[in-house]
Amino acid sequence: MGLIQRAIEERGVPTVSVTVARDVTELIKVPRALFVPWPMGHHFGVPFHRELQRRVVLAALALLENSEDPGLLINLPMKWADVRREAKTLTEQGRRL
Amino acid sequence: MTAADSGALPTIDPREAGTQLRSGLWKTINERYPGAMIRKDSFVPQARLANSLSQSRLVMISSCGVHLKTDEPLDVCHPFGDFRFLRVPSSAKHEDLIIHQLKYPHDDADLDINVIFPIERLQELCEEGVLGGLTPNFFSFIGYNMDPDKFERTVAADIAQAVVEKEHADCALLAPA
Repeated sequence: MGLIQRAIEERGVPTVSVTVARDVTELIKVPRALFVPWPMGHHFGVPFHRELQRRVVLAALALLENSEDPGLLINLPMKWADVRREAKTLTEQGRRL
Repeated sequence: MTAADSGALPTIDPREAGTQLRSGLWKTINERYPGAMIRKDSFVPQARLANSLSQSRLVMISSCGVHLKTDEPLDVCHPFGDFRFLRVPSSAKHEDLIIHQLKYPHDDADLDINVIFPIERLQELCEEGVLGGLTPNFFSFIGYNMDPDKFERTVAADIAQAVVEKEHADCALLAPA
């Protein structure tokens, strides 16, 4: 995925990626990325948690507007344990999960 | 230099620390599939947004293997991976899409596609005016390709060309799976 990001950026279109594998993203040297400390397959959170999914998308988009240096890698300060807790609350409120 | 490079194991639970859950991922992949991943020594020049986000067209690209239920899936079983990609209309909803991929857990994404491919969140941001628009098509492929040089020549170059010349995107969101 980093190769695609570099190929698009080389053609003059700004790109941002959302990654759960910080080491891989660092080594492929992408132009800018948002790191979320969550498991594979959960880059944008948990099912039906629209607010959280939106928060990740907006954090990534903010990087498009504000990044200065190539290789900017920002951490989203939200632990997986907290995400699971919120998902559990959603379930208790009757959302299917 | 990361924790994975030095071989150091995290002493505290990564779920509590907010660090990478599988911190040895890079090392593990290189051990299991030598040459399957490449590292780059330099950055590409950074491009800039010409206008604000509210006047820009966004394209999303994902390696999650999502596609329209009516499309034929890519080959998930090929030992070297499938070096093709699919287009997903940006107006598609969760009900229209299905994931064909074996290399990551997508149980939660099957319940709500936005967990890995936040297409409905982007549609909402568009309606609210946060984003200027979406390109007619998004792109999806299978993120398991055992020949990175071929991948760079084929999938990466073809998607990048389509994004710039056919979809006329102003910015791109990449969602690796």
